[in-house]
Amino acid sequence: MATKIISTICPFCGVGCGLNLRTENGKLISVEPQLDHPVSRGQLCTKGWNSAYGIDAQNRITHPLIRTPQGFRQVSWDEALETIANGLKQILAESGPQATGIISSARATNEDNYAAQKLARAVLKTNNVDHCARICHSPTVAGLSQTLGSGAMTNSAADLLETDLILVFGADPTENHSILGGHIMRAHLEGTKLIVADPRCTRLAKLADSHLQLKLGSNIALLNAMVKTILDNGWQDKKFLDQRCEGLEQLTASVANALEGVEETTGISLPEIESAAKAYSQSKRAMILYGMGITQYVSGTNNVIALSNLALICGQLGRKGTGVNPLRGQNNVQGACDMGCLPNVYPGYQKVDNPEARAKFSQYWKTEVPEHPGLTSMGMTKATLAGEFRGLILFGEDPVVTDPDQNLVKRAFSKLDLLVVAELTMTDTARMADVVLPAASFAEKSGTFTNCERRVQHVQQALPPVGEARTDWQWLAAIAQQLGSDQLDWHDSEAVFREITQITPNYSAMNYTKIDQLQGLQWPCNHETPEGTAILHKDTFPIGKARLIPVHPIDIDERADNEYPLLLTTNRLHFHYGCGSMTRKSPLLERETPAGLLFINPADANDLGVTHRSAVGIRSRRGYVETRAMLTDDLPPGLVCMPYHFREAPSNQLTNTAQDPLTKMPELKACAVSVQPLEPGMSPRPIDEISALKVEGVK
Amino acid sequence: MKSYYLDHPNTLRNHLAKSYQIEPPEADSAKSTPPLISPKGQLFAEHENLFTFDGECFRETLPKPAPFVLFGVQSCDLTAIHYQDQFFANDPYYQARRQQALLIGTDCLNPCQQGFCPSVDAGPGVKKETADMILHQLSATSWLLLVCNKKGLNALEGLLLNPANESEFTDRDNRIASCVEQFNDDSYLQQGITAINQNQVPEELWQQLGIQCLSCSGCTTLCPTCSCYGTWERQDSNGDIRRQRFWDSCLYESFQREASQHNPTEEAGERVKRFWTHKFGDNFAQEFGRYGCVGCGRCEQTCPGVVGVHSVMKRIASDAKLDT
Repeated sequence: MATKIISTICPFCGVGCGLNLRTENGKLISVEPQLDHPVSRGQLCTKGWNSAYGIDAQNRITHPLIRTPQGFRQVSWDEALETIANGLKQILAESGPQATGIISSARATNEDNYAAQKLARAVLKTNNVDHCARICHSPTVAGLSQTLGSGAMTNSAADLLETDLILVFGADPTENHSILGGHIMRAHLEGTKLIVADPRCTRLAKLADSHLQLKLGSNIALLNAMVKTILDNGWQDKKFLDQRCEGLEQLTASVANALEGVEETTGISLPEIESAAKAYSQSKRAMILYGMGITQYVSGTNNVIALSNLALICGQLGRKGTGVNPLRGQNNVQGACDMGCLPNVYPGYQKVDNPEARAKFSQYWKTEVPEHPGLTSMGMTKATLAGEFRGLILFGEDPVVTDPDQNLVKRAFSKLDLLVVAELTMTDTARMADVVLPAASFAEKSGTFTNCERRVQHVQQALPPVGEARTDWQWLAAIAQQLGSDQLDWHDSEAVFREITQITPNYSAMNYTKIDQLQGLQWPCNHETPEGTAILHKDTFPIGKARLIPVHPIDIDERADNEYPLLLTTNRLHFHYGCGSMTRKSPLLERETPAGLLFINPADANDLGVTHRSAVGIRSRRGYVETRAMLTDDLPPGLVCMPYHFREAPSNQLTNTAQDPLTKMPELKACAVSVQPLEPGMSPRPIDEISALKVEGVK
Repeated sequence: MKSYYLDHPNTLRNHLAKSYQIEPPEADSAKSTPPLISPKGQLFAEHENLFTFDGECFRETLPKPAPFVLFGVQSCDLTAIHYQDQFFANDPYYQARRQQALLIGTDCLNPCQQGFCPSVDAGPGVKKETADMILHQLSATSWLLLVCNKKGLNALEGLLLNPANESEFTDRDNRIASCVEQFNDDSYLQQGITAINQNQVPEELWQQLGIQCLSCSGCTTLCPTCSCYGTWERQDSNGDIRRQRFWDSCLYESFQREASQHNPTEEAGERVKRFWTHKFGDNFAQEFGRYGCVGCGRCEQTCPGVVGVHSVMKRIASDAKLDT
C-alpha cells in the first residue's frame, strides 16, 4: 500500500483548483483538494471530485491507429509518424503550407500549445493555428484589447471576497466555474451586493439582490441604458474619466437615446435599470464577471466593449475588488491564447502582421516565419469545403460535437486528405481521423496551465502514460523530426517552458521553481514584477489611456417566427464538461441527467402537450435532435435551453453559424427552433440513429 | 489500562514498522488537526471490486491486505471508525481490512480550526474503546503511551518501555479538560440539533440551503462516517466482468431516483435536510449509540456552497429561533 500524493491542477475549467492525486502502486486511487491552494482553498466541484474517472484506463486510446477500409488498425508510432509526415509532405508540395493547419487544445499544457504553434509556424510555415477560444472568448480578446489593451481577467479570484458589489453578466459560475461561484455565494452571504443579468434564472439569480432577467441578446441595450443613467445622474467617476480614459464625448453622444424603448427591448423596467446602475456606480468597489452570455453572439465583441464602457465610466478598474473579469472556460484556454495558438498572434500576443514581431520570431527560431495571418478553425472548415485546405492536425478537442452546425464540420472533416487526431478516448472527431494518436492525460504529464486569473500553475506527473500514450509536445516534436526539423527537440517540459519565457514578455521572469514556491505566478511576470501581478491596469493601461468606444444594439441573427416559434439558448450543467468525454465516464455524473435534455417553461410545455421528462423533437433550420424535456420556471416562456455535453442530442445540430464579424464567434446563444412531443412512451433517438434514417430515406 | 513512557512516537513507529505497513507514512503525531482526508478509505475503499464473472464462474475478490497500522489518528476519526465498525459489521470487504488494522490514536491538546468534537462526544481525548493504543504528548521529549487492549499489548512485544506513573492518568484528563475549555462557544450547534429533531427548521430555509448545495459530493467524500456506495459493472479487456462499488453521495439528485423516474427527494432542499437529519437525528443516535457527526468540521472547509456544518447550524439556530 505504498501511497503517494502528487500535487497538480484540476483539468477541467479555468478556475484552476489545486488537486492532489493519491496513487497506490502506480494506480490512481483518489483525488483530493489542496487545503492551502490560493484559489480553491480546500474545495473542489463535482467535476473535480470525479476527475479520476475521466482519465481511467477504460476506453482510453492506447496505441496509434490508422484508418483502413476495414476500420482502424493498430500500428507502431513509427508507422503512424511516417504516414503523417508523408501525408503532410505531399500536401505541402502540391498545395503549399496554407493547405495545412493545427487546432490545438485549451485542455493541454502551455508547453503543448507552444509546441503546436511552433510546429505550424516554424516547420509547416503556416499561421493556420487556432483552438476553441474561438468559440468562447475570442470577443473578449478582441474587445478588451481595444478598450483596455489586454484581453484577460483584470483582477483575481481572491478579490471576490474583498468587494462591495458583484455584477454577474451572462455567466453561470456556480455551474461552470463552481468554486468561483461558491466564492460569490460566500461573499453575498457576508454582505456583498449581488446583481445577476441573465435571461435564465440561474442559481445565483435565485440568491441575488437583483435579477435583471433581460431578453435574449439585449445585452448592449441594457448596458447602454445603464451608462446613460449613470451619466445623466452624474454617478460617473469624473477623476478616473479625466485622467485615464478617452472617448467620453463620443460615448455620451452615442447613448443619448439609450433609454428610449429600452424596457420593451430588454424586458427590464427603467426603475430596475436605474437601481442597478446606481448600485454599481456608487459602490466603493464593484466587480464585473461575465461569460458566454456576453461573447457567444454576433454582437460578441461589441457586448464586451459595452461592459468595458460601463466599468470605465465608473472607474471600477485597477483596484482590488473591481475589474472586468471574463470567466474562461477551459483549464488552459488562457494559456493556449498566451502561447499564440491563434492565427494572428505569436506567443505573448505579439502580432503576426507586425514586421518587428515577425523578425523577432524568425531570428529566435532561426527560420523564416510566414507573413500573413492564418485561418481560424471555422476558416479551415470552410476552406476545406472549398478545396483549399487539406491537412489538419488536431488534439484535445471534439469540434464535431462542440462547434456550431455539426453537419458542416462533419462534411469538411470527411473531405480532408489528412486528419490527425490525438485524444484520450474515441471522440466523434477522432472517429473521423485518418491517424489517431494516443495522448497522455493531465495526470500523466508535467507542464503548466494558466488559469483565468492569469495564474501559471505547475502540473505534475502522477501516473505513467496509459499504453503508448505520449505528451502532446512530444508527439508534435516527433512529427517535426519526421519532417526533418529539430525545432521541437526539447528534452523535458521544463526546457519547453524556458523557451517560452525567453520569447513571451509576460512570462519572462517565470520558472518552475518559483511557480512551485509561490503557488503559481500571475502574468505579467517580468523583471519589473518578478512575483507576478494580481491586478492589471493599476496606474496605467498597456495602451496608455483606456478607450470608451460607442457600440449600438445589434439584433440576434435569427428571431422566433411562426415556423420556429421558440428561441433556443445553450447552457452547461455543473455535472459535465465540454463534450462530456471525461465527465461522462463517471457513473455518478452519468447517472445524474438523461443523455441530453431540453429545459422548457411549464407554460410552453403545456401549450405543446409536453410533460416532465417526456421525449421531444427539436428542429431548427439546420437540424433536428430528440431529447428529454425538463420543465422548469428557470426559463421564461418563449425561451428553451439545451446543454451541449451530449453526443446523443447535440445542441450544435441546431445552433446558428452566423458570426461576430470581427472574431468569427458563432452565435451559439440564440437561434429559433420548434419543439414537438414524441409519441407517448417513445424514447429520444440518438442523433446517429436519426442521421442513419435520413440517409436511408434519401436512398 | 497499561501505560508507558515514550521518548518519541517514532520509537513506537519504528518498532511497529517491523511487522506492519504504517499509514499514513508521514503523519505528525504532535499535530492537533485531523488530516484533510480521514482514514475512511483505508477500511472502506473508494473503489472496490466485489466479484468478477468470466462468463461461467463468479469469483470472490476479497481484499487481502498485509497487517497495517493507522498511526496517530485523532479522536474524531477514531470515533468515526468505531461508528463504521457497526455499520459495516457484516461487510466482508470492510472487515477483511479492519481485521488487519492496528489503530494508534493521538490525543488532541489544542482545538483545531473547524473542529467541535467535545460537543458531539468525540474528543479531543481518544476513548479507549476506539483505539488499540493512545499517544499523549507530555513534553517535547516525553510521551505517554496508553495500551487499550490485548491487540495493542501484543503489538508492543519486543519493545522495552518504562511503565508510567498512575498520576499521569489524572494529568492526562486535566490536560484534555483544559483543551475542551479552549473550544469556541458553539451553542448554536445544540440549538440546531434541537431544532432539527423537533422539526422546527422552516422548509424555506432547507430550500434556500438546497439552492446553495452544488451536489459536489465533497462533504460526503470527506465525512468520516458517510458510507453510501453505488455499484457498476466494468468489462476488462479479456472480457471478464467486474462488479465494482464506489463512494456515492446522497446529495446527488439521482441518488434516490427510482427506475420509474419518481424521486422522493427531487428537491435539493429535501436532500440537504436528509443529510443533516442523518448526521444529527435522534433516531440515528438510538441505532448507533451516538450522532453520525463526529465534529471534525471537514464539511465546512470543503463546501463551496457555504452549507457545511457550522454555516448550516448557525442559520438553523437563528431561523428556528425567529420561528418560536
